[in-house]
Amino acid sequence: MIVQALAFYLFAGILTLSALMVISARNPVHSVLFLILAFFNAAGLFVLLGAEFVGLILVIVYVGAVAVLFLFVVMMLDISFSDLRKGAMQYVPIGLGIGGILLGELMIIYGGWKFAPNMSENLAAPLLRFESSSNTQSLGMILYTDYVLAFQLAGLVLFVAMVGAIVLTHRTRAGVRRQSVAEQQKRRPEDVLEIRKITSRTGV
Amino acid sequence: MISDFNLVPLLPEIFMALTGMGLLIVGVSQGNRATPVICAAAGAALSIAALVLLSLGWDAQTVMNGMFRFDEFAGFMKLLVLIGLIASLALSSRYLTQEDMARFEYPILIIFAGIGMMMMISANNFLTLYMGLELQSLSLYVLAAFQRYSVRSAEAGIKYFILGALSSGMLLFGISLIYGFSGTLDFTVLGKTIIGLEQIPIGLTIGLVFLLAGIAFKISAAPFHMWTPDVYHGAPTSVTALFAIVPKVAAFALLMRLLFQPFADMQEDWFQIIYFLSVFSMVIGAFAAIAQENLKRLMAYSSIGNMGYALIGIAAGTAQGAGAVVLYLMIYIVMTAGVFAVILHMRRQGLAVAKIDNLAGLSKTEPALAYGMLILMFSMSGIPPAAGFFGKLAIFNAAMNEGLYVLAVLGVVTSVVAAFYYLRIVKVMFFDEPADSFDKNEGSFARRVVLIVSVLFVIGFIIKPSILYECAMHAASALFTVAG
Amino acid sequence: MEILAVFSPLFAFMVAGIFGKSIGDRGCQFVTCAGVILAALTSILLFFDVGFGGHAYAKEIAPWIISGDFNVSWALRIDQLAVVMMCVINIVSACVHVYSVGYMSHDEAKGRFMAYLSLFTFAMLMLVTADNLLQLFFGWEGVGLASYLLIGFWNHKFSANAAAQKAFVVNRVGDFGLALGIMAIFVVFGSISFDTIFEQVADKTEVTFTFFGHHVHALTVICLLLFMGAVGKSAQLGLHTWLPDAMEGPTPVSALIHAATMVTAGVFLVARMSPLFEFAPTALMVVTLFGATTAFVAATIGLTQFDIKRVIAYSTMSQLGYMFFALGVSAYGAAMFHLVTHAFFKALLFLGAGSVIHAMSDEQDMRKMGGIWRKIPFTYGLMWIGSLALAGIPPLAGFYSKDIVLEAAWADHSWFGNYAYWMGIAAAFMTAFYSWRLLIMTFHGKPRADHHTMEHVHESPPIMLAPLLVLAAGALLAGAVFYQPFVGSPKAGGSAHGEAVTETAHAEKPVAHAEKPQDKAHNQTPATKIKALSADISAEMTEALETVKEMDAEIAQGTDRHIFWGKSLKILPENDTVEAAHHVPKWVKFLPLVVGTLGIALAYLAYLLSPGVPGRIARMFKPLHILFFNKWFFDELYGQLIVRNARTLGKAFWSIGDQGIIDRFGPNGSATTAGKIAKALSRFQSGLVYQYAFVMMIVAIAMVSWFFFKSGLRDLG
Repeated sequence: MIVQALAFYLFAGILTLSALMVISARNPVHSVLFLILAFFNAAGLFVLLGAEFVGLILVIVYVGAVAVLFLFVVMMLDISFSDLRKGAMQYVPIGLGIGGILLGELMIIYGGWKFAPNMSENLAAPLLRFESSSNTQSLGMILYTDYVLAFQLAGLVLFVAMVGAIVLTHRTRAGVRRQSVAEQQKRRPEDVLEIRKITSRTGV
Repeated sequence: MISDFNLVPLLPEIFMALTGMGLLIVGVSQGNRATPVICAAAGAALSIAALVLLSLGWDAQTVMNGMFRFDEFAGFMKLLVLIGLIASLALSSRYLTQEDMARFEYPILIIFAGIGMMMMISANNFLTLYMGLELQSLSLYVLAAFQRYSVRSAEAGIKYFILGALSSGMLLFGISLIYGFSGTLDFTVLGKTIIGLEQIPIGLTIGLVFLLAGIAFKISAAPFHMWTPDVYHGAPTSVTALFAIVPKVAAFALLMRLLFQPFADMQEDWFQIIYFLSVFSMVIGAFAAIAQENLKRLMAYSSIGNMGYALIGIAAGTAQGAGAVVLYLMIYIVMTAGVFAVILHMRRQGLAVAKIDNLAGLSKTEPALAYGMLILMFSMSGIPPAAGFFGKLAIFNAAMNEGLYVLAVLGVVTSVVAAFYYLRIVKVMFFDEPADSFDKNEGSFARRVVLIVSVLFVIGFIIKPSILYECAMHAASALFTVAG
Repeated sequence: MEILAVFSPLFAFMVAGIFGKSIGDRGCQFVTCAGVILAALTSILLFFDVGFGGHAYAKEIAPWIISGDFNVSWALRIDQLAVVMMCVINIVSACVHVYSVGYMSHDEAKGRFMAYLSLFTFAMLMLVTADNLLQLFFGWEGVGLASYLLIGFWNHKFSANAAAQKAFVVNRVGDFGLALGIMAIFVVFGSISFDTIFEQVADKTEVTFTFFGHHVHALTVICLLLFMGAVGKSAQLGLHTWLPDAMEGPTPVSALIHAATMVTAGVFLVARMSPLFEFAPTALMVVTLFGATTAFVAATIGLTQFDIKRVIAYSTMSQLGYMFFALGVSAYGAAMFHLVTHAFFKALLFLGAGSVIHAMSDEQDMRKMGGIWRKIPFTYGLMWIGSLALAGIPPLAGFYSKDIVLEAAWADHSWFGNYAYWMGIAAAFMTAFYSWRLLIMTFHGKPRADHHTMEHVHESPPIMLAPLLVLAAGALLAGAVFYQPFVGSPKAGGSAHGEAVTETAHAEKPVAHAEKPQDKAHNQTPATKIKALSADISAEMTEALETVKEMDAEIAQGTDRHIFWGKSLKILPENDTVEAAHHVPKWVKFLPLVVGTLGIALAYLAYLLSPGVPGRIARMFKPLHILFFNKWFFDELYGQLIVRNARTLGKAFWSIGDQGIIDRFGPNGSATTAGKIAKALSRFQSGLVYQYAFVMMIVAIAMVSWFFFKSGLRDLG
């Protein structure tokens, strides 16, 4: 047990610190790298909870894809974060104050947290049927049965996101060279080749 | 595996999703040339969805593992949403070509936003709630930025997106607190859990606060309204019309289901929040609008104010109050559709204009339009015998029955202030020197139909107000039969 | 049919008022005249049907106000009292409408004038057919409005505007009383519907109001308040000052509104509320005293005036005084009788005076007339008829009605009845005197007008004379014809009170035929509708004529006035002065006639035979003459006491209260504040997205903190 507790505080501590660094690092590349660190620690927390599938998915999707994408974008765009921050700095004192209040309140709330009397029944309801199966298996089972509606809706959300991304960014530009396989296939030697006999030493 | 697997109540949504995807395929293969056809097809699809909805049995039932609830309230609100969507699509069709943004994704995004809204209305679980909310929000973010070469439109989209994400964050945080307390996402179970409590723990209350903050953003209730004027102003006018007409209905339905069903026993807590939001919305909606010069911004504040009035009905907390809200929203969407039909008509030399001054002397240049607008403005400011009066009457009546005199009086006072800017439009139209007339032959048939229907509704409502009032009351009572 | 009788003037008003420009003056004149004549014809039919057939009924048109215990409907109460008034109103109004076509021919706003006249007619009809006090009040205010509009019709004249305002403001005092009376009735009876009130009167005689610790008799208070309204509208002493000034309006208006109809509304009100007044003897005494004094005072003023219309106006006031003291001694039938005859001969006199004024190129001062009787013989003759009727010379209308009024006063055998009788005799003498003074100064003697005017003196066109003939016929015959039904005859026994057998027999007759035109006209094209309607009307005419024949037979048998009035008037048996009036000594009956003849003779003596006499008399009784000539200084008194102070007070309220406080902190203040708030709020709308996010966060956290704070309090407490 003690090992688990130690691991939890380690992961959680690093997670918080790196999250703090994400927003305070001067170099945007560092920010993204700290973000990746934060993701790793969150994945560690998931594993601690026994949710190894979610933890690994987090690593694969967020670290492997999203964060790397961020990194590319940050590197390709020449954004000066310090310029962006200039105006925002004057709000820091108020922001800290308000954040502090919220933090304090939440800590008190969590400190005296009460659970509903029937919380455990409520929680147990979806889990009972999957006691024997593995994490991944039960997730798959539950996603396609109990939560099929939410799952499909999530699919629609992603679909709309895709459509939206295309609508807002895709454009057809004139003068862009693009490979057209059909065109290439249609080309015949007769269309593009001309065979001339050239006598030597006369030039073309 | 799930005991209550039944797709029948979801038929309208499923139909819309399939049609949306089908139309997308058509669009991809045909390109933007097909936009008018797809618009028409989308309109037809929405109408068919409405018919399907009407043909369902509206008995209360919960399906899909308790995630999806269908009852008379849901059916009625969905019908309103579908009508609103059809109206905004009708308003858009011509505008798209005029503004050179006739892309086939437009109607398809509207359809998907519609699915999201209908999911919100039927949500009986925080998961469906959130998914529906995100589906409609995401579609609307894209629509706001749809005119992507316009800086204003892009700005509107970004603002809406960022603030919407923030509000979603609050919503999720609230949900997580509620889940952390109760261990369930299901409304029915949550309701039972809360009923059994002797004392409401502060954690649950705070969860509710964040949840309501998130929803308040969606209905643009002050002080979570800051995005509204900017987004309404920046977005293409047809999209603004959509924003003003439809999402409010869905968000209100969601709010009412949440507050009257699972959180019915926390009325003491949420009453204060709703009260606060209502007061703020009415005051800001009334006063801030006075300084506006742009009709779209004006309509933004007007919608903020109107949401404040509708919130009074929720604050009343009774079936009568809920019925009044439904009636109010119904009248509100019809009036708003009519007003936007007029705004969309305002074009000069091929450019859309939306300043109040541009309406100067409209009574001389285009009397029919001016009189239509006159009636709508009278209705908006709640002058009898126009329909708007009855909506306000129902709301204030419900409030008085519950002893909410302060809200009712404040509502009347702010209505008077609001009447100032509505009537200023009338004054500009009828008493100012005529400005240049608007472009001729630019009116579209569909838009004219929307305007005429809207005006007729507003005038004709008085003939038999009881019909729609009874409908609204009946629909709203469905919320209470189960909860009680 | 009653719908037709009441609403056709309204219809005419709407057409002439709204489409006046497009249908032109001719169109307006035609529409309004046609509307009123139609109303007149239908009301005559109604008169026979209801008056002699006994078919009194109330017809509900539409609910009006339903609020808690307070239920009011639009309803027409067609009973005997109402039909008598309807006939008077519609016939006189029809005459005046036609007359106005000629009289106003040089005016620019003919359409507007005709529309106002029709509006007035409608409002007056609403007043008399009201089934509840609120509808009566509606009509009451409606005629007030129409009167205001018509007095000030020549709005370019300052004096006309001032007179219109004066009429309106003075009437407001009376209306205030009436409104209070209606409210008091609602408090006591819980209803303002006539039927409900009258049913309960007998039970409410003991009710009292507590007023500053005193118990006052509720019915007396109510009746006095209602009478206050009547005093204002009928220009009784105290609130009479507007009537002479109202002569600034066109003469047809004076004839219609300020002689025949509107000013009699007060008489009608008291008669209508007779079931209440019967139980309030104190109120009746007050009514008698007011009426008698008015009759006398107005006559004295009439002696000295020189403006032809003002003389007739004071005479009207005096005659209204007669009606009131008749009411005061419970002789309601006699009062109504005098009202009807007076309407005819006074309208005749006014229209005749109008004809004279028309002939004299708009000259109203009698000192600048004279010697024109040969040039306008027709008018002259008609004026004679009117004056004879006014002076009460048999067999003209005035003789019958004035006599019965005076006899009833004497027959009351109370001190105020006697007072009224002697005041009435004095007034009768003066009436005869000033009537002939008017006739002689206007028509006889040497021409005192300038040469130019005299050349233009001409008889009025036929369109103005024809209505005069109708009215003259009324002035000649109305008295003799209606004496029997209105006030009964000495032969009829006094035993039959109200519920005579014949009446109940008639009451059973179905009233359904009144709705026939509407039923048949339903769902038909306009053309066939009109045909069906006219067919119906002619059918009804024949039906009504048959009824009339039956009635005639009954009249011949000696119809009792109780049968005629049915339940519309209520007289307690011990108060039945009309009955008693038939059994008074001979000298009581003949004294009015004697003083009338004496007055005429003296007038001839003073003005025609020895023209120096009036001046000498005036010098001899200088203080009296000054008092009379200056109208007993009422206007001066009011001016000093009320008007000036009210103006000062009003100015103070306006500059300090209204502008200084209400405007400054009210409309203007709130408007500027709203503007400022709007500016502040729009400044808040910076357009910066992180500020928006910040606001959202702050609000969310504020709400969280609020609940946190509250739960902290809860835990502590």
